[in-house]
Amino acid sequence: MNKAERLINLIAMLLEARRPVTLERIRNSIPGYQQASVPSFKRMFERDKSELREMGVPIRVEPVDAFGEEMGYRIPKEEYYLPEIDFTPEEKVALLLVNRLASGGVIPLSREAGSALLKLSPDLGDVGRSGRTGYAPLRFAHPAESLETLTTLWEASVRRRTVRFTYRSLGSSQSQERSIDPYGLYFDRGAWYVVGYCHLRGEVRSFRVSRIESQVEAVSTPDKGPDFARPEDFRLREHARILPWEFEEGTHYRAEVRFSPRIAWLVERDLGDVYPFRYLKGGGGKLRVTVRNEDAFCNWVLSFAEDAEVVSPPELRSKVRDRLLEILAMAGGDEVG
Amino acid sequence: MADAARLRRLLSLIPYVLKHQGATFDELCEVFEVSRSQLVDDLNLIFLCGQPDYSPADLIDVFIDEDRVFIGMADYFARPLRFTPAELSGLYLACSALARLAGAPVSPGLSSVMEKIRDALGMGELPPDEVERSLELASHAAEGEILSELTRACEERLAVDMEYYSYGRDELTRRRVNPLSLEFGMGHWYLRAWDEPSGEVRVFRVDRVKELTVSGERFQPPDEEVFEGPYGAVGGGEITVRLRFAPALAGWAREQPIFSSVEEEGAFLVCTLKTDKLSWLERELLSCGAGVEVLEPRELREGLRRRVERILSLYAEKKKRGGT
Repeated sequence: MNKAERLINLIAMLLEARRPVTLERIRNSIPGYQQASVPSFKRMFERDKSELREMGVPIRVEPVDAFGEEMGYRIPKEEYYLPEIDFTPEEKVALLLVNRLASGGVIPLSREAGSALLKLSPDLGDVGRSGRTGYAPLRFAHPAESLETLTTLWEASVRRRTVRFTYRSLGSSQSQERSIDPYGLYFDRGAWYVVGYCHLRGEVRSFRVSRIESQVEAVSTPDKGPDFARPEDFRLREHARILPWEFEEGTHYRAEVRFSPRIAWLVERDLGDVYPFRYLKGGGGKLRVTVRNEDAFCNWVLSFAEDAEVVSPPELRSKVRDRLLEILAMAGGDEVG
Repeated sequence: MADAARLRRLLSLIPYVLKHQGATFDELCEVFEVSRSQLVDDLNLIFLCGQPDYSPADLIDVFIDEDRVFIGMADYFARPLRFTPAELSGLYLACSALARLAGAPVSPGLSSVMEKIRDALGMGELPPDEVERSLELASHAAEGEILSELTRACEERLAVDMEYYSYGRDELTRRRVNPLSLEFGMGHWYLRAWDEPSGEVRVFRVDRVKELTVSGERFQPPDEEVFEGPYGAVGGGEITVRLRFAPALAGWAREQPIFSSVEEEGAFLVCTLKTDKLSWLERELLSCGAGVEVLEPRELREGLRRRVERILSLYAEKKKRGGT
């Protein structure tokens, strides 16, 4: 006897029942239960019931009659049925794309999103063919992070659960046990980060999810209340787009960088939402940048080679110059220096 | 678990056919992402289910007419099962993520979808505000217009003229391409297109498309649509490059997916890659500073040196001017 068949029959019976159905009737009616001995039937039924409840099937236990002596089971239709939603053709295409995103596993809870979309399928119909032109070209590649880790971290942040994991920070060869109060997740340039209060460092920090080396585990048991409160004034956005040269305290500069006409538009597209940018006559552009980490700033400016020049301040200009001389020495150009 | 996945599918498949009587096998296989034989198995199973006493009159009616599927006697399965809280959160999260990754122009129906889902189902234990506050994705709004034009061109199979900045070759080019598909990976949108100048299918970064005109010219799509991902974009050249990273950069170097081999040399790391884009590599190396040394080839070492001299002249000149 196929298990899926047994479970479908069970759901069908409990959905149609006008009154709660007793265990005995369930056993006597449904093929697959009939053959089992009473104790093994009971175990089987308990397992089936909890599996169905996990899927969200609302199985109620209620008294069979007014005397309330015998209990039975029932699935109220109004609690089982997904309300009908009418989607416009445009909305259907949007949901087709959401489905693509979910099957790419890019976002926490992607699997759950996928199973929600499966449930919407009767209302969506054959979108692939009835969409705008029958062809939606957008695809999403799988990210490097494990979907399970992303989902655990996100759920922990929403449920305010302290988590524990081993983490290898960049530039250190040894990994460390960390416990953090996760406040949220952000995704930038192809990588996920979790932002939270780090118990080891005693401050809010970002952790790159791909550098988490262990399973992410909740520190306390789920039946307990929240482990922490997220500060009211916490804004994920303020942590989300911290550029590499903004990390660390210490020196603090306002730098001006000039870009050649060839690439100024690229810089505006990439950073125009973060920093003031203005076009110059002739098509080049100038970006005003906050710098806290001089090394990272030099790395970034030099990645544009001769298409970027630090205009000010002089300290950073000479820093870039020193860096260039170092590279020159290493590349064996000492006779030119 | 395979059983659970199948049960979930069956509980949506029945209401699907009830609502779309006469759906074809192809349609059902596509919507439910199953093979034809799996679908036949599913339908055979549904055929055995129903109400007690499971006499023919109590069973769900499944019949197949040529290629079309009909289901009757299953009114109690008229609707799929409600969402679990996690499914609802997941769907809402995915919608809001898509809005930020692809932008409104690409998916105009998205915000009203989110409203409908919120209104019809309520957000239960997860207020929408909490979604906004706990999940942030770097916006791709700046390239949104171009992405949406490309989406349209892909759908309508229209050739496109574009001005494209090739980072690998460090040049701005004008080219006509036949756009095939768009893929989001490694934090960027990539266009896969048949490229007229080179006569082959190539991958382009959407944020490096400077200008774009959709032509009125329709092209014939290829028989097979595959997107292998943009990840080979850098590798795969003829030139063997060996680099030695200082200990401070070793950890970073290990994380880069471009190296074909990585060997330790004391605390240093010697990495090998194949490429034909030396211009790209020179700029990458510049941003590593003196923490990396080029072991081979010689032309890369020299190219890097010449480039450094050119940049240095930028700074020397400025200094003089600053002094006057």
